[in-house]
Amino acid sequence: MIELTGVTKAYGEAENPVKALDDVTLVIPDGQFVVVLGPSGSGKTTFLNIIGALDTPTSGTVSVAGTDITGASRRELAAIRRTSVCFVFQSFNLFPGLTALENVQFGIDASGRHTGPPAHEVLESVGLGGRLNQFPHQLSGGEQQRIAVARALATGNPILLADEPTGELDFQTGVRILQLLRDQVGPGRVVLVVTHNREIARCADRVIELSGGRIVRDGEPEGGRANVADLFW
Amino acid sequence: MVIALGTGSYAGLSSVTEWRRTSTDDAYAQLRMFDLRVELADGTTVATSELESKARSMPSAGGIELASERLVTEIQVDASTADETIVVPGLLYGIDLLNGGPDVNRFYVPEGRVLTEADRGDDVALLEYNFTRYYELLPGNQVTISGGQTLMDVGHAMTPEYFFVTTERGGFLAEANFAAVFTSLETAQEMSDKPGRVNDLLITTKPGADVEAMREDLTRLFAEYGAEVITRAEDPAYRLNDSDIKGDQQIYEIFAVLIVGGAVGAAFNLSTRIVDAQRREIGIAMAMGLPPGRIAVRPMLVGAQVALLGVVLGLGVGYVIGNSLISLAKELMPLPEWKTDFQFDLFASVAIIGFLLPLIATAWPVWRAVRVPPIETIRPAYRSGRGGGLAPMLRWLHLPGNTMQQAPLRNIVRAPRRSLVTGLGIAAALAALVAFVGMIDSFITTIDRGDSEILGDSPDRIEVSLAGFFPVAGGLANQIEGSPLIGAAEPGLSFAGRMVGNGTEIDAQIDLLNLESEIWRPSLIDGSFDRSKPGIYISELASRDLAAAVGSTVELQHPRLQADGSVTIVSSHLTVLGVHPHPFRFATYMDINQASIFGTPGLMNRMSVVPAEGVSDSDVKRALISLPGVASMESVGDIAAAIRDLLDEFVVVLRVVEVAMLLIALLIAFNAASINIDERTREHATMFAFGVPVGTVMRMTMVENLILGIGATIAGVVGGWFLLRLIISTRVEDTMPDIYIKPYVSETTLLVTLFLGVVCVTFAPLLMWRKLSKMDVPGSLKVVE
Repeated sequence: MIELTGVTKAYGEAENPVKALDDVTLVIPDGQFVVVLGPSGSGKTTFLNIIGALDTPTSGTVSVAGTDITGASRRELAAIRRTSVCFVFQSFNLFPGLTALENVQFGIDASGRHTGPPAHEVLESVGLGGRLNQFPHQLSGGEQQRIAVARALATGNPILLADEPTGELDFQTGVRILQLLRDQVGPGRVVLVVTHNREIARCADRVIELSGGRIVRDGEPEGGRANVADLFW
Repeated sequence: MVIALGTGSYAGLSSVTEWRRTSTDDAYAQLRMFDLRVELADGTTVATSELESKARSMPSAGGIELASERLVTEIQVDASTADETIVVPGLLYGIDLLNGGPDVNRFYVPEGRVLTEADRGDDVALLEYNFTRYYELLPGNQVTISGGQTLMDVGHAMTPEYFFVTTERGGFLAEANFAAVFTSLETAQEMSDKPGRVNDLLITTKPGADVEAMREDLTRLFAEYGAEVITRAEDPAYRLNDSDIKGDQQIYEIFAVLIVGGAVGAAFNLSTRIVDAQRREIGIAMAMGLPPGRIAVRPMLVGAQVALLGVVLGLGVGYVIGNSLISLAKELMPLPEWKTDFQFDLFASVAIIGFLLPLIATAWPVWRAVRVPPIETIRPAYRSGRGGGLAPMLRWLHLPGNTMQQAPLRNIVRAPRRSLVTGLGIAAALAALVAFVGMIDSFITTIDRGDSEILGDSPDRIEVSLAGFFPVAGGLANQIEGSPLIGAAEPGLSFAGRMVGNGTEIDAQIDLLNLESEIWRPSLIDGSFDRSKPGIYISELASRDLAAAVGSTVELQHPRLQADGSVTIVSSHLTVLGVHPHPFRFATYMDINQASIFGTPGLMNRMSVVPAEGVSDSDVKRALISLPGVASMESVGDIAAAIRDLLDEFVVVLRVVEVAMLLIALLIAFNAASINIDERTREHATMFAFGVPVGTVMRMTMVENLILGIGATIAGVVGGWFLLRLIISTRVEDTMPDIYIKPYVSETTLLVTLFLGVVCVTFAPLLMWRKLSKMDVPGSLKVVE
């Protein structure tokens, strides 16, 4: 589903570039809950942006949902984002002028995929069926993030990318969100979570650890995969 | 830029009015404009020196500083050149040139030479400068006046009575249709066949003199001659100039309030945005214990920078506008000296206001920001989910389309204060545009109305004024009617008088004519023509001001010719039989069979003639000018055409203001769009992350602007309409009380306003296309830590 071959992303001068990603090669099939781990500056956000068709590599090839997006134009990248990926952000990034239901409906409208479950069902699936007509500022952080997850799910896109989804949440709420994301994994879908929190990596099927733009580890979590309920931070 | 345009326009325009005031006051003093004028009734003259000696015998004569007698005669002037036929009515002024005269109402001669004592009795003259400028005449040519007499034009003169050219029949900007000719008293007396006679006295008063007492004495003294005594303030040109300056300044102040209001709104929005963007930093600073005053310094400095930049640029704008317009003013009204000193006080006060108001507008959001509990600004949830404004009220309103079609309206109502300020700013600029251009529309439709009324079914009609009273069945009448160049002719009478009613006195120009004439008669909007009933037909404005509807009675003070040829002023009470739509208040009509009221049965002092088929009005005028008894002629079609030509010159001033309004409205719209796009960077980035095309996001922004623009345009048009009515009802009544100008906004003005307020405001965000399409989406998605 996701394939990177020799991907490098460099910034700055040609003689002395800063490499956010350095010769990254990997394949991520569907059906996996993947955590990309690394401290600040390790390249994990760049990694997410390239997979999410928000950025292009300096060198190497990127294939998302079977489409080579390496040399894609901005318009083509936008099309990929519409049809193949969806995002959950650290700061939720809900639209303050739309209700919870409308925020989720946005996901359906943006992707153009009207064949899936309607917005209110998606909201109910994340446990917010009773908050349809509330505005974001009327909801807690956890509720807002669940709406953000619902919005991403409503697109029906196979690749869900979450950038520090628990970063602004307390532990218990974060655990709930993590469980929600974990529950979305299945055939034809991959969930990729970017975080610096090692504890979160314990519930992944696969942990890709980045340091200095390079993959330093790629495999099962240390000590084996844990249940989300067993996590603590 | 908005501040610069607003303050600069006001300062520049106000400088011009101040220069006009100072320079014309100086000119009046230098040219010794009269303080009192005695004008004997039409046809009445006295021996030279009699007017002055009588005046000096009155009880308040000690107040007389200088006095000058004149002979003023109605004439026709033929100043035709090889390229152009120029035959217009006018006045011949016989001026006392003895001892370096005239002592009062002296001349400034920008072209040619002045008249001196040596010119007494010679056939030389000065022509009024505005007339010669209109027709681009040069000194050194001959002009022909009534009776085929010629004068050598030796110079072109400005004199206070003609700084604005007005005529007795209410013409203004009349330089194309009126020629004042100034010659020596002796020459005028000979040419008018009034040797040793005068009919006009000008007086300047000593400082501190009781002008009103002197006026009363003069009125009593010359009552037997049916004289009119006016003060300087009542001179039409003086009054027009004075109230024009005052009126202009009032208008500039109204527009300044609107424009600076728009600027304040723009500054308020900008500073709100800046403060919002720095909310976290402000919160952190407060959490660290910095006092609110110190925290406020930085955003206030930004506001001060914006205000200062605006004011400095405004100085430049004001300088350019002021100097451009004063060049035009100098060309239109050459004075002995134009005082155009830099108006430091004016610019300083405008700069202070232009600086302080936006600064105060900045202070309000800053003050609000430093009063918020720090934790509210630091907490992320607060930032991402901050307030929905009025959006919750519209949650049940679903516009057609998907969620991206709901967003624009929701975005407007979730920031109601900013939306309102932006909308009001645009509305203010549009209101100013509607009011300002609407003034010209109203003026032009008034001219059209008058045009339509006066032309009627005989647009080639010529009104011939006679030099006195002649029998309607006599030699002169036969000569005119019998001319092969004349297709039809009708005798008439014309008198100046006053109407009284409802505690008001107004001037009346009374024309007696055959109300069943096939040549021309007025139309009526109320009442009907009835030759069998004695009565009067008054204008719509007169009817309003006198509170005199059809069937009511008005008092008419008018001249009456006595058996011995003298003229007395009497009062008659007449029934209003009809109301006509001519915009000139003083236009008054009666049937000629009522001539006995004026003591002139069987007499005429004017004729209405229509050229014969294939004959031009110039041919008729040339033929009639040589007839003794013909004083002047005026083609009815020429008046409005000339005013329209002159309006084109003044429209230049309006275009300056119009462009300024246009720019201001566009700037406010662009400013709002720019703020919106900055404000919603993360929302837009989120949309882009979900693959929404740039065009869709831009469309949403444009729809938001469209909604704002529609609201602002409606408010602007409505506000502008009321402002136009206010300006017309206050300013016009002062400046031109005799003209009924009805507020009117043309379709073109409405379309321009609509285009600006809706189309341009809607498309203003397109200027941000590049910024939007080049957005760093990943960077914008992150909360800045």
